[in-house]
Amino acid sequence: MIFVSQLMGIPVIARNGDEIGVLHDIVVYINEHHYPPVGGFVVRDRRRRIFIPAQQLGALSYQAIEIDTTRISLDMFVRRDGEVLLNKDVIDHQIIDINGRRIVRVNDVQMSVFDGVYRVVGVDVSPQALVRRILPRRYGQHFVGRQVISWADAQYLASAAPVQLKVSYTRLQEMSAVDLARIVDALSFRESAEIVAALDDETAAETLEEVSDERSADLLETMDQERAADILEEMTPSAAADLLEDLDDTLAAQLLARMEPEEAEDVKELLAYDGDSVGRLMMTDVVTAFPDDTVAMVIAGLKARSELPDQLTELFVVERPDEQHDEPGFTLMGLVRVDQLLLADPDLPMSELVTDVPTVHPDEPALQAARLLGEYNLTAVPVIDDAGWLVGAISVDDALAVLLPDIWQRRGARNFG
Amino acid sequence: MKSLWKRWWPYLAAVGPGLLAASAGNDAGGIATYASAGAQYGYSLLWVMILITIAVAIVQEMSARLGAVTGKGFADLVRENFPIRATALIMFTLFVANLGIIVSEFVGIAAAAELFGVSRYVAVPLAAVCIWLLITRGSYARVERILLLLSAVFIAYVASAFLVKPDPDALFQGFVPHVRNDSDYIMLIVALVGTTISPYMQLYVQSSVVEKGVSMSEYSYTRVDVMIGTALAGIVAGCIIIATGATLHPQGIAIETAADAARALAPLAGTNATWLFGIGLLGASLLAAGILPLATTYMLSESLGFERGVSRSWAEAPVFMGVFTVLLAVGAIVALIPGLPLIDVLVGVYVLNGLLLPIELVVIALLVSNQELMGNYRNHGAYQWLVWTIVGVVSLLSLLYIGYQIWGAVAG
Repeated sequence: MIFVSQLMGIPVIARNGDEIGVLHDIVVYINEHHYPPVGGFVVRDRRRRIFIPAQQLGALSYQAIEIDTTRISLDMFVRRDGEVLLNKDVIDHQIIDINGRRIVRVNDVQMSVFDGVYRVVGVDVSPQALVRRILPRRYGQHFVGRQVISWADAQYLASAAPVQLKVSYTRLQEMSAVDLARIVDALSFRESAEIVAALDDETAAETLEEVSDERSADLLETMDQERAADILEEMTPSAAADLLEDLDDTLAAQLLARMEPEEAEDVKELLAYDGDSVGRLMMTDVVTAFPDDTVAMVIAGLKARSELPDQLTELFVVERPDEQHDEPGFTLMGLVRVDQLLLADPDLPMSELVTDVPTVHPDEPALQAARLLGEYNLTAVPVIDDAGWLVGAISVDDALAVLLPDIWQRRGARNFG
Repeated sequence: MKSLWKRWWPYLAAVGPGLLAASAGNDAGGIATYASAGAQYGYSLLWVMILITIAVAIVQEMSARLGAVTGKGFADLVRENFPIRATALIMFTLFVANLGIIVSEFVGIAAAAELFGVSRYVAVPLAAVCIWLLITRGSYARVERILLLLSAVFIAYVASAFLVKPDPDALFQGFVPHVRNDSDYIMLIVALVGTTISPYMQLYVQSSVVEKGVSMSEYSYTRVDVMIGTALAGIVAGCIIIATGATLHPQGIAIETAADAARALAPLAGTNATWLFGIGLLGASLLAAGILPLATTYMLSESLGFERGVSRSWAEAPVFMGVFTVLLAVGAIVALIPGLPLIDVLVGVYVLNGLLLPIELVVIALLVSNQELMGNYRNHGAYQWLVWTIVGVVSLLSLLYIGYQIWGAVAG
């Protein structure tokens, strides 16, 4: 296990014993493996920087690097695609610790021989690594820390390198949206844009729902509009509505125009409501059943669906619409909890199970719905509009968002280590 | 309704970092220097203040630009673009210098308290605790708002300048550039530079810009804030010089501390001037005593990589809170040491700042002209020459100052 920082500046010696120069940096091919192989060495001789390919390496130690050939190309070193310099682009930069779900700064890099080639195997984030590098080599080498992250468990940020670099981001998708969001908020704008660009639409949508308002607005503004629209479609309508509100009006209109008409309609409906109102927070996709439907019928109906709403805890019993009149909505009778369905006699009709439930109006403040949820120990409160139709429901999860704005704001804070 | 508020908010929200940092520049040491300048040389140093104010505006704008373009703080950038030993050296000297200034702020609080007849042993601990609570309990937004309110107190200095009714002709003479071959004059110029272009201010502006998440599209608001902030700070500094220049200078009264300046104004301008001066001193010192530990801790957490952020709770960022608390505590405790040669301490602190300033300016200038880092927002051609000229002049002055200090210590 070699610490890369300790190699910097050591003499590079040719086969005939001549010193060619000192080690200036090490080139790795970042995308070639989850332990990237060393491509070669950048050697400095006065003002000149030359490149020695890894194949020409003879021996490597903290004292010197021996080259196995006498023929050296004196061409100036020029960086190529996929090449990252360890000392310049990795050490002292930030990376994402996937398992630790946090951002860390690389204090040193560990190299090891693996499959016949030197590879980057780990990143040292311990404070001892800093001390080791600051002190003269004689004293510093005694400082060895214990916080090493395997390179396979780290996500390198391409923006740390000054050139356009393609980096693989598959490991990022393993992280939960909440963790990703925290990291997106903590990074600089450029870095966070890089990460969001690497996520697929669904994951990006989930992540942006949790990212702070300011940052997500900034990200959306600089994104390709088609992509932005795709992401907005994947979000819950109320999250999309909140986000669109933070954007410039013209941009918001353009993005809405690019969205699927149905999705855009849902969002526009919500935008009609005030940001703090029930109407904005409510979910419009509620499960309904008629009073004469039996438990068995309802369960079969649910199973037949391709998708169920998130966190389904209740369904609403509504009056069967009059077939003669074309009614635009449902009239609420009451609520049946899903857990009731599981234990009830399969032939029991909904009318036997239904319970009365308080309701709210879309224009009421969300806080009011939150209070009802708490007071009556409900899992959801139905939302009834002026005409008396059931338009949606507010769940316990939404209530939390309303009751604990501080935490939500804090989570969005950019300060994070 | 929401969109109207959102349209105004960027302007209001952006008025923050520059204003705060610039206001904090008029702290105990600053006030002592400006008052000395006025007492010793009347209005003749006003032209220097104009040049210095322009220089500060340029330097602060560069810091803010660095923050907006890279989205990273000063310490982050130093860590990522300079060798580790250079980074360590810069951070260490910044830390020590800032700690010294924190001590000087608490000295200022003590002096202001005693102007109002409150013992320093009551005022200083009380101030330290209040600052700590304010910053650790409140969210960052609330902190900034409250500090902004406090900084409005510096209007008191502007009031002072009018209260003392300066003579218009003499005042005009002060704005005409003229250099005297007088070692004290040069030294005061250097001191003015040292206290006005404090390294920590640049750090704080950049950190604040990053904290607010200002991107280049929103940068114009920030630039306005920086300009306004430095202009206001410059005006306030000028007013202090005018106030003391009109009252103390004709009488030939020299001053040793800010408290002297306030006291000296009493028989000449009535108790109002003293009272206002005291409030201004207290406000500026409290503001700086809050900003400095925060800025220093941010700086360390960026370069060393521990959790940062005032908005986090104690449990989430123990190292950050710990360092911040220690800085406040040490500052307060040292300021309370009986018999401490306070003037020597204050002077020593600004010598160190003088040493540090050229280094910091060079670092900023290098970072801002870095193509890889700044892209199209880097300094171009003529502007870069201007910047290097400022760096050169300031560095020369700082070295002169140190030279005089050492010479004074050796010869005196």
